[in-house]
Amino acid sequence: MNYQQVVQLHRFTKQASLRSATVLFFAAMLLVVVLPRGAVASGGVALPKQNWSFAGMFGQFDNAALKRGAQVAIQACMTCHSLKYIKFDQLRQFGYTEIEVKALAESQGRTKKDALLSGMDANAAKDAFGVVPPDLSLITKARKGYEDYTFAILTGYASANDLALATRVMADDKISDEEAKEVASALGLDMHHLDKMAEVLKRMAAGENFNRYFPGHFFAMPQPLSDGAVAYTDGTENSKIQLARDVVTFLAWAGEPTMMERKSLGVKVLLYLFVLTIMMYAVKRRIWARVH
Amino acid sequence: MSKIMEWVDARLPVTELLKSQATEYPTPKNLNYWWNFGSLALFVLIIMIASGLFLAMHYKADANQSFDVVEHIMRDVNFGWLLRYMHANGASFFFMVVYIHILRGMYYGSYRKPREILWWFGIILFFMMMATAFMGYVLPWGQMSYWGAAVITNLMSAIPVVGEDLVVWIWGGFSVGDPTLNRFFALHFLLPLVIFGVVILHLWALHAVHSNNPVGIDLHDEKDSIPFHPYYTIKDLYGMGVFLIIFCAFVFYAPNFFLEPDNYIPANPMQTPPHIVPEWYFLPFYAILRSIDFLGSFSKLAGVIAMGGAIAILFILPFLDRSPVRSFRYRPLSKQLFWMFVADCFVLGWVGYNPADAAIFEGALPLIVIGRTCTALYFSYFFLLWVITAFDIEKHTPVPKSI
Repeated sequence: MNYQQVVQLHRFTKQASLRSATVLFFAAMLLVVVLPRGAVASGGVALPKQNWSFAGMFGQFDNAALKRGAQVAIQACMTCHSLKYIKFDQLRQFGYTEIEVKALAESQGRTKKDALLSGMDANAAKDAFGVVPPDLSLITKARKGYEDYTFAILTGYASANDLALATRVMADDKISDEEAKEVASALGLDMHHLDKMAEVLKRMAAGENFNRYFPGHFFAMPQPLSDGAVAYTDGTENSKIQLARDVVTFLAWAGEPTMMERKSLGVKVLLYLFVLTIMMYAVKRRIWARVH
Repeated sequence: MSKIMEWVDARLPVTELLKSQATEYPTPKNLNYWWNFGSLALFVLIIMIASGLFLAMHYKADANQSFDVVEHIMRDVNFGWLLRYMHANGASFFFMVVYIHILRGMYYGSYRKPREILWWFGIILFFMMMATAFMGYVLPWGQMSYWGAAVITNLMSAIPVVGEDLVVWIWGGFSVGDPTLNRFFALHFLLPLVIFGVVILHLWALHAVHSNNPVGIDLHDEKDSIPFHPYYTIKDLYGMGVFLIIFCAFVFYAPNFFLEPDNYIPANPMQTPPHIVPEWYFLPFYAILRSIDFLGSFSKLAGVIAMGGAIAILFILPFLDRSPVRSFRYRPLSKQLFWMFVADCFVLGWVGYNPADAAIFEGALPLIVIGRTCTALYFSYFFLLWVITAFDIEKHTPVPKSI
C-alpha cells in the first residue's frame, strides 16, 4: 500500500467512525426520549402544554398577570397554603405600591415584612384534610411538568356535568360500552380497565376530589378555584381558567424571583462567548496553518 | 523583570519547568478534538471548586436548615442562583466531559503500555469524582438527596459480617440524618482538593510518557511533534469557548434540565418518593446493580460487586488488550465492540432511569431482562476484547509508519 492509499484509508475510517458515532448518538437519544414514555405511561395523564409568557430565552413575566396572580394566591391559596420564601414587601417588584402591599398584608393580619404564611394552623389542616398542605413557594419547580402540571391540577377537577355523568353511569352499577366511551372522553380514563373506571366513578359519586391530572386521580385538596372566586379590579374576566393562569404565573415567579435576572444576564454572557469563541477559532486556524 | 526571573530561577527553576512542561512541551501534531476533553475536565474541575467555595461561604449543613439555606442562596445571595446553577449543572457537565475523555482513551488505546499508571490515576480520579458528586447531591437536603443517600449508603450493609455496623458508622446514627449530612459536607469539601492533587499525579504520569495520538504509534520523527504552546493552548481555549456556550445555555436557560423536580421538596424521612432515581451519570451503574436479582440473599452483595466491578475492571484493561496495535482506527473488530459497548451504556442508563418493575411492549418485555442482558454485554466487552486480541482473531488494517 502506498502513502496515498493509506491516507485515503485514514479518511475513510475516520468518516466511518464519525458516521457510526452520529447514528449511535441519535439512536441513543431516540431511546432515551421516546421509550421511557411507553414504559411509564401508566403513571399519569399527559399534561396539556400551555404557552407561558415567561418561557423561553426572551420570555418576560406579565406584571399585570403577576399582580392578579398574587391576589389569587393570597385570597384563595393562602387559606390553607403558605409561601414561606416570599415576603409581602417583595410583591412591589412587579408593580404593587407600598400602600397596596400594606393593605394586602393587613388583610392577612400581617405586616409587609412578614412572609406569605397561611393563617391555617398545620395541625388543624392535618385534622381537616389528613395532610399538611405543602408550601407553594417551589411548587412549580417541584413537580414533573412544572407550570403545566400546576395549571392542569387547578383546572383538572370534575365539572358538575362530570359528576352527573358519574352518578348516571353508576346508577345501575354497570358500565356499558357506550358509557365507557363517554366516560373515557370526558374524564380521560382508560376504557380498557372497566373495574378501575368503576372504582373511580364510585369514589367521584361519593364526593371525593377527582382530578384527571393527578396520578391516582384522588387527593386531599378540594377544587380550590372556580369562576368568579376572586374579584379582579383591573377588569380582567375572573373565570376559573384565567385565575389559574394568573396564579400559576405568580407561583412561577415565587419559585424563582431571580428568573428574569438570569435570562437577561444569559443573553449577554452567550453573546460575549459567541464572539470570543469565533475569534479564538480564527486565531486557532491562523496558528495551525503553519502545521497543516 | 528578567532580573527577577533570573533570581527566582536560580533558586527554583520555574522558567525551566514552564518551558519543558508547558510552552515547549512536545505534543503530537495530529491530536484531534477528542483530545480537548482532558484539559476541559480540568477546566470544569476549576469551575466546580471555585463556585463550590463561594457556595460553601453561604451554605449550612444542618438537617433543619440546609433546604432553606439553598433557597436563601437562590433568592437572597447576590448571584447565588448563578453559583448554584453553575455548580449543579457543572456536575453533569463534568461527567459528560470525563465520560468522553475515558471513551477517547479506550478507543485510541491510551491505556496501553507505557501509559498504564496514567490510566490508573484516571480511574482513581473517576472513583473519587463519583463519591464527591454523590455526597454533593445530598447537601440540598431535598427528597432525592435524602432517599438517594439512604439507598446508596444502605448498599454497604451487603458487605458480610461488618456491613450493618459499617452503615451505622457511616450514617452516624440509625438512619440518614443530621450527622450524615454534616460529614458528607466535610468530605464534599475535602475530596475535590484531593482530586486536584491526583490530577497533578495524572499530569505527571502523562508528561513522563507523553500523549498518545489518534494513530496510536510512538513518535520517532521530531517533525511529528509540535510545542504545546501556541498550538494546543489555542486549540484548548477554542474548545473551552464551545464548551462554555453549551454549558451557559443550560445554566441560564435550562438550569433544571438535569435536576429532579422531587429535589425541590424538602427531605422527609416519613415519605418515600414513588420512584427513587439517581443522577443520570450514575444510571448505567445503578442498572447493573439492580440487574443482579436472581441470586436470592446474595443478590444485593453480588449487585454491589458488579457495580463496583464495572469500573474496577478498567484497571486491568491494559492487560486484557493484547493487540499489537493501540488505536482502534486500525482494528475493525475492536471498533465494533467499542461502539456496541457505548450503545450498551446508553441502554443501561435508560434501564436505570425507569422503575425496576417497568416493562415495554405491553408488559411482554420486563426491563429487568434488558438490564441483565446489557450487564452481561457490558462485561463481555472486556472479555471479547481479550479473546480477539489474545488469540489473534482480529486482523488489523495497515498502520502508518509515521503520523
